Amino acid sequence: MFKDLDPILHSQLRLAVISLLIGVKEAEFTFIREKTNATAGNLSVQINKLKEAGYIDVSKQFKDNYPQTLCKITPQGITAFEEYVKNLQSYLSAGR
Amino acid sequence: MEDKKLSEQESLALITKMIHTAKNSFVDTGIGPILWGLVISICAIIQAAQIHYDFRLPIDIWWLALGAILPQIYISIQENRERKVRSWTDQIISYVWMTFGFGIFIINFITSTYAQKIGPVLQEYIQLTGKDPNLFFWSYGSSFLMFLYGVPTIITAAAHKFRLMLAGGILCWVCSIVGVYTPVKIDFLMMALCAICAWLIPGIIIRKKYLSQRISSNV
Repeated sequence: MFKDLDPILHSQLRLAVISLLIGVKEAEFTFIREKTNATAGNLSVQINKLKEAGYIDVSKQFKDNYPQTLCKITPQGITAFEEYVKNLQSYLSAGR
Repeated sequence: MEDKKLSEQESLALITKMIHTAKNSFVDTGIGPILWGLVISICAIIQAAQIHYDFRLPIDIWWLALGAILPQIYISIQENRERKVRSWTDQIISYVWMTFGFGIFIINFITSTYAQKIGPVLQEYIQLTGKDPNLFFWSYGSSFLMFLYGVPTIITAAAHKFRLMLAGGILCWVCSIVGVYTPVKIDFLMMALCAICAWLIPGIIIRKKYLSQRISSNV
């Protein structure tokens, strides 16, 4: 029996954000935007969805008098990502 | 990138791509290794010259290394400001270099303290036997230091898969063993060679790469 893929993660931009954050301690909003080629507005919406799901932590601070947004994956986000990859693998191995 | 649904294959490809992107996003300006490569090689060469030509500078040249800590702090702050992403590897490597810095002080402290204690014993031995054992404690101290230089260099090189730096780190360890059998003047020349190969040359390469990346991202 296949488990449904997590709808929060099964979207291109949100999965890209989580995949970026899984290997780093924290990343700036501008870095994520640069690497995903997303628009600031769309990225902001998707980051909020990930934050509401408890998958990432978002903190705001000032750096050289400019606002800076830092994103960091939470333990809940790591578990969800691992589960997503496991389910993905079971789908792919069944398709072979 | 949009908020579209993905096939399983597309998801896996995206995960791989993004993890790879994050892995290759570390920022190193190369100034730190250039600074330390220069400072340590200059200090070691001057120290070797003092022994060879039998002269003494009015101040201990190694104060220059102590003074280099201040620009290093400034460089670290600037690099942190520039960094848009902080990886676990970067954090671990910075801890490794921090412990290395303290390690240098501890090794110097232990060696100096022990050299002061063993000095009178050696003098007494020479007076009693008339034989000079030709023991200069810093000959061993420099071997400890070169061994210590190799540790963070090898860890950093392995983490960033930087073969040239790895070779420099291994050279530090080889010189540290050879240094046990060579006179102290040669030890300091080897120390300069270690600093040039482990830090200065890799630092220049990192700097060039950083500057070319900066130019291409500004175009």
